[in-house]
Amino acid sequence: MSGKILIQQSGNSVVTDLGRTRGPRFGLPVNGALDQYSARAANILAGNLDNEPLIEVTALDFRMKAESDILIAVTGAPLTLTVGGRPSSQWEPISVRAGETISIRAINRGLRAYLAVHGSFEVPTLLGSCAPDTVVGFGLQLREGTELVTRRSVVPVRQPYFDLPLFRLGIERPDMGPQLLVDVTDGPDVEDFGESGELLFTSEYAVSGRSNHIGLRLGGQLPERTSSGEVLSRGVPVGAVEVPSREELLVLHRGRGVTAGYPVLAVVTSMGLDVLAQARPGDKVRFRKTTVGEATAAHRRSRAQLETLRESVNTVFGLLGIGCRPQWQDLTVAACS
Amino acid sequence: MSASVPTEIYESGDSALRVVALSSASEDNWLTVHRLADWLEDCGAEGLHGAVPTYDSVLVEFDPVLVSARQVRAFVKLGLLEIGSLAGEASAPREFDVPVVYGGIYGPDLERVAEYQGITTEEVIRLHTEKTYTVRCLGAPAGSPMMDGPAFPQPVPRLKDPRLSVPAGAVSVAGRQAVIAPAVAPGGWCVLGQTPLTVLNIRREPLVPYKPGDILRFRQIDAADFDKYVGQELEPRP
Repeated sequence: MSGKILIQQSGNSVVTDLGRTRGPRFGLPVNGALDQYSARAANILAGNLDNEPLIEVTALDFRMKAESDILIAVTGAPLTLTVGGRPSSQWEPISVRAGETISIRAINRGLRAYLAVHGSFEVPTLLGSCAPDTVVGFGLQLREGTELVTRRSVVPVRQPYFDLPLFRLGIERPDMGPQLLVDVTDGPDVEDFGESGELLFTSEYAVSGRSNHIGLRLGGQLPERTSSGEVLSRGVPVGAVEVPSREELLVLHRGRGVTAGYPVLAVVTSMGLDVLAQARPGDKVRFRKTTVGEATAAHRRSRAQLETLRESVNTVFGLLGIGCRPQWQDLTVAACS
Repeated sequence: MSASVPTEIYESGDSALRVVALSSASEDNWLTVHRLADWLEDCGAEGLHGAVPTYDSVLVEFDPVLVSARQVRAFVKLGLLEIGSLAGEASAPREFDVPVVYGGIYGPDLERVAEYQGITTEEVIRLHTEKTYTVRCLGAPAGSPMMDGPAFPQPVPRLKDPRLSVPAGAVSVAGRQAVIAPAVAPGGWCVLGQTPLTVLNIRREPLVPYKPGDILRFRQIDAADFDKYVGQELEPRP
C-alpha cells in the first residue's frame, strides 16, 4: 500500500538522489545529494536502495506531515528533530503514525540534512535521475502544500515501554565544522602552479557565503598559475580546485559546469566532497594531500561500513516484517541468539 | 586517422582520469578523444559513468568503489588500441540551419565586437554566417554546441563583467570559439544575436538535437520574423 506526506514548511528542500551519472556526457552536471555518505545512510536506515529519491534539506527549518503510517530516517548535519512533538534521534529508523508532524529545526555545525522515507517517492526523472538541475529547469523544488506519494506505507512499529527508540544500529556519524580537514590529490595541472601549489597545504581557507552546490569559494593565500595562455575547454572533475581569480579559490562540487578552461590544481577526494557539502560560510578549511590509492581505500572502507549497516537493517526489518511479510517462522536458531 | 596519435593519461581525483591526445594535428586529436568516448560509452563496462570529450581531451568518470583508477587506465589503453585499428570515418554528419536575428536587443555585443575587430557589423555578420561549423563537443551549460569560431581578424575577448543571465538561443563568440546557449545561464561570451528556435527539450532524449561531428550554419533573419519561429525546435535538415 502506498503512503503520503504533506510538506508544511519547505525551507530550502528538494527531492534528489545520488546524481545523474549519465549527465556529463550530455553537458549536464551530475548534481544529486551533496553529502553522499549521509544520503546513502538515510536510505539504508529507511530500508531503501542507496540511490532512491529522498529529501535534501539545506540550512533552513523544514516540516512535513505524515498522512499515512510511514517509516523515516534523518541523517546529515546535527539538528533538532521531533516527530509528533517527541524529540527523536537522527541516524536511526523512526516509525511515524499518520497525522504526526516531522520537524527539522536548527541545523547546526553542518549545512545539509537528509530525510529518507521507507518506500521512497514517485517523482519524475531525467536521464535516469530525479536530481534537480537548475540550469535546464528540471526537478522538484518542494513548497508548502506539496504532496509526495511514497511507494509503501509501514504499519506503526513502536517500543511499548517509555517510547524508547526501537533501533540502536550503531553507525559512524561524520565529523562536522567549524574546522574542516579535506583530502585532495594532485590535479592534472599541478605543474602549472610551480612551487606556489604548496600553499594549498600550508594555508587555512575560509568558506565564503557565495558558495553553493556548483562550487565553494574559499578565501586565503592563493597559489598562482605560472603558465600562461588560454587553456582549451576540458571536462573538469567534481572536486576540481581552481584559482580563477585573485580573490578566491574555487572548489567545484556536484553542480559544476561539465567543461571549463581553468587549470586544475588539485582534486578533492570523494570523501572530502562529503565534508565540503557540510561546510558553512565562515568555516575554516585545511587541505591535506593524499594519493588516489589511499583515497580509494578509505572510501571503500567507508562504504563497507554502510554495507554492514544495511545487513543489520535488513535483519531487524525482516524480524519486524517491515517491507516484507513477518518472518519469525523463518528464523534460524543462530539468528535469534 | 593514423593509429598512432600519442596520448597521455592524467589522474584527476579518485573518480576520474583525463586522457589528452598530443598530436600536432588538432583534427586527429579531436577524432581520437571522441572515438574513445564513443567506445567507452558503447562497451558499457561496470563502474564506468561516462566520458566527456572536448577538443583534445576526454574526462573519464567512474565509481571508485566498483572499479579502480588503475583498472580504468588499463581499459582506456585498450580502447585507444581498438579505435586506432578502426578503418574509415565516423558516420555522416547531420546538418542544422540556425536562423538568427543579429544585433539590437538580440545581439547586444555585435557593435562592440565589430569595433574591436575594426570591421563593420555587416562584416561581422557576413563572417559569422558564411562559415560552416562543426560541433566539437557538448559543453556547459546544458549541452551547448561548442564550435570553432568565425574567421575574425582577432580572437574575441570575453566580457569584463559577465552577464548574470543570457537568454536561451543566444548566439555568442569568445576567443576563437562560437556557441549557441540552449538554456538561460550566466555568461561572459559576446552575444552577436539570438535564434528563436528551441534548442533544449528536457522531455526528449538526447536533450539537444545535435552531437559532436554534426554541422551547423547560421542564417540571418529579420527581427520582424523572430516570432514566426518561436516554439519551433532546432532539427536536422531532412
